[in-house]
Amino acid sequence: MATYRLNRDSDLIDNPSPRCACMLVLDTSASMSGPPIRELNAGVQAFISAVQEDDMAACSVELGVITAGGKVTEQLPFTTAMNIAQCRQFTAAGLTPLGSAMELALDRLEERTAAYRKAGVAYYQPWLVVISDGVPTDQWQAASTRARTLAQQRKLVVMPVGVEEADLEALSAFSTRPAKRLDGLKFREFFLWLSASMSRVSASASITDQVKLPPTDSWDSI
Amino acid sequence: MVARALVVTDSQGKQRRLGRRLERGGEGEIFALRDRPDVIVKWYYPEVLDKRGEELHRKVEAMRGLRDAHMTRDVCWPLIRVFDERHRWIGFAMYRARGVKMSFLAHALLCERYFPGLDRRRIVAYLIRFIEIVQQLHEAGVCIGDYNLNNVFCVPSSGQVTLIDCDSYQLRVDGTFYPCPVGSPDMTPKEHQGVSFRHTVRTPRSEAFSLAIVLFKCLMLGRHPYDIVGGDDPVRNLRRGNFAYGRGQRDVPQGVWYELWRELPDTLRDMFVTTFTVGADAPAQRATLAQWHAALSDYREAMAAGRCAVHLAKPGRPRRSQVQHAR
Repeated sequence: MATYRLNRDSDLIDNPSPRCACMLVLDTSASMSGPPIRELNAGVQAFISAVQEDDMAACSVELGVITAGGKVTEQLPFTTAMNIAQCRQFTAAGLTPLGSAMELALDRLEERTAAYRKAGVAYYQPWLVVISDGVPTDQWQAASTRARTLAQQRKLVVMPVGVEEADLEALSAFSTRPAKRLDGLKFREFFLWLSASMSRVSASASITDQVKLPPTDSWDSI
Repeated sequence: MVARALVVTDSQGKQRRLGRRLERGGEGEIFALRDRPDVIVKWYYPEVLDKRGEELHRKVEAMRGLRDAHMTRDVCWPLIRVFDERHRWIGFAMYRARGVKMSFLAHALLCERYFPGLDRRRIVAYLIRFIEIVQQLHEAGVCIGDYNLNNVFCVPSSGQVTLIDCDSYQLRVDGTFYPCPVGSPDMTPKEHQGVSFRHTVRTPRSEAFSLAIVLFKCLMLGRHPYDIVGGDDPVRNLRRGNFAYGRGQRDVPQGVWYELWRELPDTLRDMFVTTFTVGADAPAQRATLAQWHAALSDYREAMAAGRCAVHLAKPGRPRRSQVQHAR
């Protein structure tokens, strides 16, 4: 097991920043082998570095990573960006149990926001980013309903992203906003956009306001 | 978006070359002037100019009119009109603020990095200066409206404070009212919650509430007064006047926070309690800017005379056993 936690237990006590939980659910099935998984790994690393460079975002953003490649793996439990020493490299294998990965993600988000409330820590709407190049190979309808309902209640921002031949319709079912298609393998551009969005969220003086996000034209395609 | 020319023209037709872009905000971009690093230009986005250009121009002109009479270098006030190559108004020039955002001062984990050796004396000095600047604005008929710790700059080596992003301020000039069209619910009193900021009329009493949140956040190293254990979000707590600190340690977040609170003088604590509980509903109960100024000045004197601790409790450090002003 990689160790990411430095002072995880005291973080909710000592750090006064409102939190923005950001869960990444990543499809690491066999079809992602080769350049896609390489670019995905590089993108996640770039994301962590970019968030860490912004002091406010580093104190606010809590990142969690779950992969769906053969089995569902919690690669990184929610950790404040400033405390992430490193994130494991993902390998591509197996089918795409995206439904159970999303269920786990929603459970973890629920636990985390409960921990915020218990500690008296304010939080922004959490983000759930799901990236896939195909269709889920397990039951996913229940998870998609659960995610979409939270998005409708404005308790969660769900951002589905399709890679290459991904089924955008299935991905869109998880959210109130349509899934976007990644232009080629521009994972890096996507994650830099995500980090810029997180910076805007953590710089906003209000945890309840809608934040205007940067344009997505650096990474999406029609 | 159209590529921006690197030359702008002032109202006398004199051309100025822009230096590098410093910021991209919600309404426009900030550039340095190439030959005057102490001057910056705010250039509104074309879509903002299309939509509200005339309104913005009128407001900025009204602000320029106030300048000579009331404004000093402590506020980054519009000084010079700026035009593009087709002589269309695109924004204004102002002095550039020095220092570090107050949001870094008001952060238990970041303050030491940006304000080495920070103690209570220095925090109180910045806050007194901040209140004086707001008082000066109020005397000129100007309200800040959109309180935001990112828009207050503090110089770590001195007590200097400068306010930025002033073009959103609410003003009344020659009978014309210019609203502050933006705001943050977390910093806004109950009477202005849920109303479009464009239609909100800020008053000295509403300002006193937002200002008290700024004071609390700085003295409490980043804690919002309405962060409560097991409670709702700060905005809901604010609407209910649900402030945890006045009634013992119940529902106060764990950690150094109660220790920081206990070390404040009674007067200040009473003013916070009144402002954040009954004052949430009754604007007349809120401590005024003059009262905050007097109480903080007394506190500064007490610290200088050694009657109050200047030490700041920091997270993750051993608790001190002896606490002054404990109730």
